[in-house]
Order: sequence, then structure tokens, then C-alpha cells
Amino acid sequence: MRILVVEDDAEAATAMVRGLSEAGHEVTHAVDGAFGLLESQKGGYDVYVVDRMMPRLDGVGMVETVRKGGDQTPVLFLSALGEVEDRVTGLKAGADDYLVKPYAFAELIARVEALARRRETGGVQTVLKVGDLEMNLIGRTVHRGATEIDLQPREFQLLEFLMRHAGQSVTRTMLLEKVWEYHFDPQTNVIDVHISRLRSKIDKGFDRAMLQTVRGAGYRLEA
Amino acid sequence: MKLPSLFRRTPFRLTLLFLALFVATASAVLAYVYVASASEARARAEASVKVEVDALTAIYRTRGKDALNQALVERAIRGGPYLYVLKDAAGKIVTANITDVPDGVSTGEWETFRLTDTDEDGRVRKRQSIGLDTALSGGEHLFVGEDVGDVEAYLSRLTQALWGAMIMVLILGIGGGLVISRRVEKSMSGLNRVVAAVQEGDLKVRAPIRNSGDELDELGQGLNTMLDRLEASMASIRHAGDAIAHDLRSPLTRMRAKLEVALMDADAGKVSGVDALGVALDEADLLLKTFNTVLAIARLQAGGAPDPKVFDAAELATDMAELYEPSGEDKGLEFSAEIEKGLMIEGNQPFLAQALANIIDNAIKYTPSGGAVKFRARRRSSGEIEFSVTDTGPGVPDEDRERVLQRFVRLDNSRTEPGSGLGLSLVTAVAEAHGGRVQLDEGPGAYGGQGPGLRVALVLPPASGTAG
Repeated sequence: MRILVVEDDAEAATAMVRGLSEAGHEVTHAVDGAFGLLESQKGGYDVYVVDRMMPRLDGVGMVETVRKGGDQTPVLFLSALGEVEDRVTGLKAGADDYLVKPYAFAELIARVEALARRRETGGVQTVLKVGDLEMNLIGRTVHRGATEIDLQPREFQLLEFLMRHAGQSVTRTMLLEKVWEYHFDPQTNVIDVHISRLRSKIDKGFDRAMLQTVRGAGYRLEA
Repeated sequence: MKLPSLFRRTPFRLTLLFLALFVATASAVLAYVYVASASEARARAEASVKVEVDALTAIYRTRGKDALNQALVERAIRGGPYLYVLKDAAGKIVTANITDVPDGVSTGEWETFRLTDTDEDGRVRKRQSIGLDTALSGGEHLFVGEDVGDVEAYLSRLTQALWGAMIMVLILGIGGGLVISRRVEKSMSGLNRVVAAVQEGDLKVRAPIRNSGDELDELGQGLNTMLDRLEASMASIRHAGDAIAHDLRSPLTRMRAKLEVALMDADAGKVSGVDALGVALDEADLLLKTFNTVLAIARLQAGGAPDPKVFDAAELATDMAELYEPSGEDKGLEFSAEIEKGLMIEGNQPFLAQALANIIDNAIKYTPSGGAVKFRARRRSSGEIEFSVTDTGPGVPDEDRERVLQRFVRLDNSRTEPGSGLGLSLVTAVAEAHGGRVQLDEGPGAYGGQGPGLRVALVLPPASGTAG
């Protein structure tokens, strides 16, 4: 997919461009918000990755302008360490997701891909299918093959998120933010425990494990 | 011109001010007494002279000039307060009991003059006198006067006494002012020395307290209390600085060692360098986490809770219980939650979630398998919202409870567990930023070989308007 990286810090930008390129994406770099805005107007991007603090036009200003122009391309907002209020400001300006620097690269790629994917599957779905796993969003039922799987409400939400991002890595932080809708550091890997419970329900007794652990990143549901 | 330093001292200035006031008042009183006494004495003298004049003129009218002269002679011999001069029509003195008759006296008007007199010792004295000259019908002039020198002398003695008193008051006042000024200065210099020492950076000095209970003692005590707090907070900053350095140094040292081993392994062709890099990355992440927490605590302490909103803490508590329950059960703990409905609070939800996570995570971490962790969220009878986590772990000894809330404090038996020692400090910072507090108490006591346990409570004020 095509990604526009708007970042004034040359070193951070180089690392980001290289990492995203190696993950198989086509990356363009703009050195500040004004150039980013110009570049975005050329169109054809799947995701914008925008740094908050930049000279000339900062991230908030750029995202606001982009949204006013009717451009609904997903935006991942980046900001410096520990700016508590920044998430709110960034999301208000029109960003879709938010990442605090410094971040693990796996986290950035997982989030960028999740944003791009969300755009692809824009329509309303009633049934999610990944391999032989099928989720009925209206009846709130899950089947793997012919076997019905009984899930707790939170497990259902967790699986739904994994199915919507099937084939992609999702990080623990993403799961906590998107499934539980909390932004904090849980200290221990509480998410892992929830995943292992879900795994025992959807993979136990089947010859092929669908819910896989991605080292250094998180989890991935494979068809 | 600069005044001598003494005159710039407040107590001395006050003394001078009061002395000046006293002198002004005393002078006014003195002037009044003088004027009143003098005019009173004069009026009395004039009246008695007048009576004498009337008596003498009556004699002259009824019995003639010789009778008057005889009366004057008799009176002069008998002695008395009056001074007489009788002149005939030609202006020649007929009879007089004073030698220096005032010249040029105008008839019918009061005359003030000085009478030359000799006292018992033969000394010549000038005495203040008054007199009245009366023209008689035969052309003679009768002058009757009275010596008012006694009144004068009395008044002048009074004046002298008052001036003397005033001079004594001035001397005593200035002396007293000096002594008081010295004493105040001495007490002030104690305080001044302390302030000067603090300016030099010495926080150990304390102002001397004389237990006199006066304002200076109060000031000194206030200063000492302030210095105690300042010293304590400086010490805690220093301690935090040391602790940060220490806590950041050990993961950095570990990371360095791992990178070094990785480099050697890579050189030896054992290609496990990627693994070592992964571990080094984990260490770097831990470091960043510590930095983040320190920063968050500092921000909370400096600026309070950011972006506060009113929300139902019961929902938050339910989510936290649901999130941590599997972790507790996986560790072999009995995890239970008891959450009342409708606990509206105002605050920053992510920070409060973090605080609850830290408390619950601590309980799960430090409670051995087979124990129990109970999470409760309720409204106290006072209206405050209380989140409490009670565990059956080893607990925290009474004397350490205050300490574990501070930054980077880790009790000896917890050093083997991962953690930065910042967990409860952050909880405290979150509580205080929301106008609440953290309470540590003993848990349920000894229980199945465990205990006594710990109860950590985060107490927050309810959102305004929802207390009732």
C-alpha cells in the first residue's frame, strides 16, 4: 500500500521509511506539515503517518486541513514521549489512531496496516469468515467448521477484532486500546492470558492452530 | 545623607517616635499649667491690690491726706504684702516702703515691674511685682503694688522640674530604646544568620527558639518548619535523582553486557546476535517505561489530572476486574470483585485505569499461589468513592507503609520481582492529582500459611453534584 510519512526528524523518518518499505509498502516522505499537505493533495495514499511537532505547519494543523478538504485517508498520529493530552488533541483534529514515540516498529506497522485494512472493508458485514472459522455478528455465534464455540462477550469482541484483521499482526497495546478501549500500561501481560483462553476455545481439538503468536509484535489470526 | 545604622533600626526608631510624642505632650501640658497658674496668680494679686487701693482711697476721702499718710506708715511698719508709694501733687515722694519706685507709671493701668529686695542673707534679688497707680482728688498719686515673686518662683521651679523630668525621660528612653533595639537586633540576627546560611545553600541551620512565645519565636518556629519541609523535599528530590540514576543504570548495564555477548557470539559465528538484540530491545523498553512513569508522576504532581471528565467508575472497575481476573486465576489465586453501581467520579480515565491496574497487578504479583485477591469498589458513607484491593500476600510492615508510596522504594523481599518501584508512587500521584489519597492497611491476617496480607485503598472524592 502507499504510505505518506510526514516527519521533520530526518533520522526518525529514515528509519520509518526503511522499515515500512521492508514491510512491502511504497513510502513517500514529506519533511513538514506544509509539504505533507501538498503531497497529500496528489492523492492515491492509503495511510498518512503524521508527526505532531513540526516546523511551519504542525501535525494537528495539517490533519485539520486535510479533513476540511474532504480527504478521509486514515491518519496515524505520532507524538513525543508522555504527552498525555496529545491523544485527545490528535483525535479531535481528525486522526484515526495515535502512537506515542518511541514505539516498537512492529507496533507502527501493525497500526498502519490495520488503518489501511479498515478502509478496505468499509461496508457493513454481518458474517466474518476466516478459513473455517465463522462469526455471525447478528446472532452473536461462532463456529469453527461444524463445532459451535461458546465465547464470553469480551472473548467475542477479541475474536471479532482478530478476524477483522486476519492475516495481520496485532499488538497487545492495540488489543487493549481497540477491544477494551483503555489506554494504559497493564504492567503484566494480561492480554496474553485472555488470548490463551480464547486460543484454548478456538484451536483446542483442531489439527491446525489459527491464533498465532508473532514474536516481538503480538498475535495474528491465520486462515 | 545616610543615617547612622542605629537610627535605621525599627525598635530604636519607635523609641524615638514615642519620646518625641511624650515631649510634645508634656510641653503642651506644661504650657497650659504655666499659663493657667500665672494668670490665676495675677488675677488674685490684682484683686487684693484693688481691695487695698479701695480701702486707702476711702481713708483719703473721709479723713484726708494726713490720715492716708498715717495709715500708710502704720501699714508699712506693721508689714504686709503691699508696696506703697504716695506722691504729693508736685510728684515728690511723701511716703514709700520701696526704694525703687517705677518711673513713668501711667495712672489707672496695671504696671508690672521688678522690685529690688534683699533677703535674709543680704543678697539682692529682683522680684516680680505688679502695681496700680491711682490719682487722688488733691493731685496726689497713690501707688499700691504687690510682690508676686513667690508665684513666679513657684512657676519657674515647676517649669524646671518638668524640664528635668523631660530630660530624664529622654535619657532613660533613648537608653531603653538602645537596650531594646540591641535585644531585638540580637534575636533578629539569629534569624538573619539562618537566612544568610540558607542563601549559601546550607539547609541544616535552624533558628534559635527562646521559648518566650513572642512574635520572633513564632517567626523562628515558622522558619524552622519551612526549613524542615524544604530539607525533606530536597532530600527526596536527591533521593529520587539517585534512585533514577540507580534504576536506569542497572538495566543499561544489563543491556550493555548482553550487547557485548551478542557481539562476541556474532564474531564467533554463533549467530545468536538477533536474540541478544531482542533482549536488548526489551531492556530499552523497560527503561523507557521507567522514564515514562517518572515523567507522568512529575506531570501529575505539577499540573493535576489532565483532561478531567465525569464518568462512571463502576464501569471502569468492572472492566479492570474482568481484565485481571484471568491473570489472577492463572496464578492460582482466588480472584473476586465486588463493585457497587453508579460511582460517578471526575477525572482522567486513563490515569485512574493505570492506578487501578498498578494496585491489582501488585496484589497478583505479591500474593503466592493459593491465596486470594479481592477487589472492591464502593461508595463510602462519607460519599467518597473507594477502590480497594485486599490480598493475602506477605503484606507491608506498618513502619514501611508510608515509605512504599514514595518513588523507587522497593522492599527487600520484592527486589526479585520485576518492577521499577514506581507503581504505588504513580497511584499516589494519581490520587493526589484527583484530590484523593491512598491508604495502606493490613490485610485479613494470617491465612493458610500466608498473610498478613495488604489492603490498598484508593479513595477519591465523588464527582461534584453526585454525592447525594
